Amino acid sequence: MNRAILRISLACLAMFVLLLINVNYVQAFESSKLAGEPGNIRVFDQQFTYQRGSIIAAGDSKDATIAESRLIKGTDTYRRYYPYGKVYAAVTGYNSIYGNSGIEEAENSLLSGTSSQLTVHNFTALLTGKQKQGATVELTISPAAQEAAYNALSTSTAGHAAALVALNPSTGAILAMASYPTFNPNELTSLNGGTLDRNDNRLLHDSSQPLLNRATQMTLPPGSTFKIVTSAAAYGTGKVANPNSTIPAPTVLTLPNGNLLHNDDGEACANGNPSIIEAFLLSCDTAFGHLGIRLTSPVLRHYSSLFGMNRPLSVPVPVTPSVLPEGKDWLDPSLTAFTAIGQFNDAVTPLQEAMFAATIANHGKLMEPYLVSQVLGPGLSVIESHTPTAMPNTGIPSRYAGYIQQMMFQVTHNPAGTAYLTAGPPATSITIDGKTGTAQNGVNNTGLNDAVFTCFVPGVNGQSSPIAVGVMVQGGGYGADAAAPLAVKVIKAYLAAHS
Amino acid sequence: MSLAADVSQPVPMPQSRRRSELIMLLFALVISFFAYAAVGLGLKGAVPSGLPVDLIVFAVAMLAAHLAIRRYAPYADPLILPLAALLNGLGIVMIYRLQESGRNGNPGLQVTLMSTSATSFQVMYSAIGVLALIAVLVLISEARVLQRYTYTLGAIGLVLLAIPAMLPDSMSYVNGAKVWIIIGRFSIQPGEFARLALAVFFAGYLVAKRDVLSLAGRRFLGIDLPRVRDLGPVLIAWGASLLILIFETDIGTAALFFGMFVVMLYLATQRTSWLLIGTLLFLFGTFITANLSSHVMERFTIWLHPFAGSNPTGIAYQPVQALEGMAFGGLFGTGLGQGQPYHTPLVQSDFIISAFGEELGLVGLMAILLVFGLLVQRGLRAALAVKDPFAKLLIGGLSFVLALQVFVIVGGVSGLIPLTGVTTPFLSEGGSSLVASWILIGLLIRVSDSARGPAPQPIQDEGMTQVVRAA
Repeated sequence: MNRAILRISLACLAMFVLLLINVNYVQAFESSKLAGEPGNIRVFDQQFTYQRGSIIAAGDSKDATIAESRLIKGTDTYRRYYPYGKVYAAVTGYNSIYGNSGIEEAENSLLSGTSSQLTVHNFTALLTGKQKQGATVELTISPAAQEAAYNALSTSTAGHAAALVALNPSTGAILAMASYPTFNPNELTSLNGGTLDRNDNRLLHDSSQPLLNRATQMTLPPGSTFKIVTSAAAYGTGKVANPNSTIPAPTVLTLPNGNLLHNDDGEACANGNPSIIEAFLLSCDTAFGHLGIRLTSPVLRHYSSLFGMNRPLSVPVPVTPSVLPEGKDWLDPSLTAFTAIGQFNDAVTPLQEAMFAATIANHGKLMEPYLVSQVLGPGLSVIESHTPTAMPNTGIPSRYAGYIQQMMFQVTHNPAGTAYLTAGPPATSITIDGKTGTAQNGVNNTGLNDAVFTCFVPGVNGQSSPIAVGVMVQGGGYGADAAAPLAVKVIKAYLAAHS
Repeated sequence: MSLAADVSQPVPMPQSRRRSELIMLLFALVISFFAYAAVGLGLKGAVPSGLPVDLIVFAVAMLAAHLAIRRYAPYADPLILPLAALLNGLGIVMIYRLQESGRNGNPGLQVTLMSTSATSFQVMYSAIGVLALIAVLVLISEARVLQRYTYTLGAIGLVLLAIPAMLPDSMSYVNGAKVWIIIGRFSIQPGEFARLALAVFFAGYLVAKRDVLSLAGRRFLGIDLPRVRDLGPVLIAWGASLLILIFETDIGTAALFFGMFVVMLYLATQRTSWLLIGTLLFLFGTFITANLSSHVMERFTIWLHPFAGSNPTGIAYQPVQALEGMAFGGLFGTGLGQGQPYHTPLVQSDFIISAFGEELGLVGLMAILLVFGLLVQRGLRAALAVKDPFAKLLIGGLSFVLALQVFVIVGGVSGLIPLTGVTTPFLSEGGSSLVASWILIGLLIRVSDSARGPAPQPIQDEGMTQVVRAA
């Protein structure tokens, strides 16, 4: 019988080994996943008992604390406060019992102090009897630019949904990121369960989707701003030699499938055979549609990738990819003509609009956009800091970027340019190079066009460009009228704070 | 010549090792006292004031058990009592900790189902358990004594098992399982005792019938299949456990019974085919009942998708709280009194292991599992060493079922297998389980004493024989 007993012993051993492996799995390997489960009471309770790290907008000389946990008087409980309310909501997101969003979500493990990078800090705190504390996250956001962006969006879009992103072209630092309509994150941190529940329900079911960060999550057709990509492809493939080379631009372009492509309002484009720079400043659809047919969709897609499209992106807030999709019929030349003017199924985020301008502003080199400049552990030691890096597999030769810069200069400085009145000398003394876009709203054409504007302030005297801005106003109308003035306001505010 | 030399050699006497047992027992008690102090420090920041009367009573009971072993089982394995005492002590401390949560300004939920006297009751049951252990040692001088009561105990076991199913729900149904006998303020879980009685029955029956059962039947796919008529007892055990499953909605207890029977059958006959047939029959039965009973099906859903949809706040609330609690404990735990185990409903009962995981961490939980593992190993060791086949079978089966019980409940709580409600031996709140566990310890100690004790002195007998021959 002893042989059988030995076998049964092995079976017992196996059961205990399985149990040991499984509790290791639950308590060591899966513990952070379980801690992140929505509605985890313990983790939620715990966050009130110690100080979650602050979020700082550190893009100007004067920092602004945009999220912090404050001890409620007479208790041991902390509550999350957002001192500027709606202004930074698109950046910080919220930290609530129902979950996190924005930076609060992306940097949660550091803010809450559970990150492995803080293990040593937490352990020392444990030994010395100090309280556990989350890390402070410093952002690249410029308070001046952010306030201007928020004010511009909330007062000048006539209620249309809109978003704006400002970048530093030479580093990729995100200077402003605003979305409208937005929400007040303080409403989601109430410690009163009933109030919290009501606020959460209202925001979730609001048809204007205030919780959506449109700067990174909304994709719209780029419209004529996509002509930047089409131009880069034209130069890169040698189809067009330089800005003064002429390209055909009929008043009506007959597409291979027999359909007709008109310019805006059926206007003629100069003499019908303008230089590409002229076609660009007038934003002639027939010229670039024709160019697109010659370039073909795969080439346009390749060049759109060089501007950072067609890839996942996180800044570290997750960004919906901007795409020129390889969908059905995408090789059809008649549709390629629409792709080339940003009107087929290409769709981009406001952040991508800023990246178009930033690529040109930084002489063809696209820097990886980022929000977090550094993370400070308790005691203000730097535990993480960002080094600007070029986005891999992107960028265009600086010569072509120079050509496109000349073209974008004309858009705002030539009296015939589409944005001359709203972003050129009549509007501001600051030199702004830009491109307007007015995208007809595809399948769900509501009669309202999406207004788009991408622009930058060129560097002077060998200095690098200080700022690039992308704006999209859903159903706003003309890009020059509805979008460009918003960008100008942000640029003015930012340069004033950095002069 | 050689004979004389043998006689002059001192016969090696086995060591009793009672002193080692005492030292280890004191160590286990010291751990329990420190854990008790840690609960106070964790909850209130101060060592609980006043004498820990409950723990002192517990310590006295354990020392009484030690003295009884000295007197009645001097050669018993010295590890068994300290291991059991450590588990029982930790269980009492955790019940004290849970009883205090939400009371007297301690953190916890305001609504608590635990009575303020839960700890005292648990200590009282420990003392009753020790009395039962002493009774086992006094009354059962050798395991073989039990063999005489094979069929009596078998009948008692079946009756105990069946009583809750016969009683009206008001007298047998608590928290989803119909396994109780409730009379006034008192309630017992007869299944805990039925398991011991049936173990004796199985051992007695199988020792008597093992030759018949191990007769080779047909060989199929390289496995010796038993004859169909010999399948009878297995099918009866299977049927009985299925009935428990259906009428008492208690898949865990059914698994323990069936597992115990199949393993004892295997030990008796050494035929792997029994294991195979048994496992297949059990899986088949589970499959059938899962399709018939929404309760069993629900357990599977909870196991596979604890976090899906509304499960975390609905049907899977309890296991999800347990898992999140364990994860919250992490490697080193929150410390006794500093976690939030009170979020898990009825944590003091089937889910108590999750409270240990949360407050003592992975490290503490693994230590507890190893203590259980050691206890099982000492039992199997005794089964290997003892000569009496009945004792071998009984202790082998009981040790296995102890391991299986720990596996079923800890595995269920930690999400390894579907959750089934069985108690955690020694740790869970509740008298029946605790007293039954101490009776089991009594049997282990009795058998290990037989296994390690000196063999009957043969030399004098030999001398006598020689005298007879000479005459």
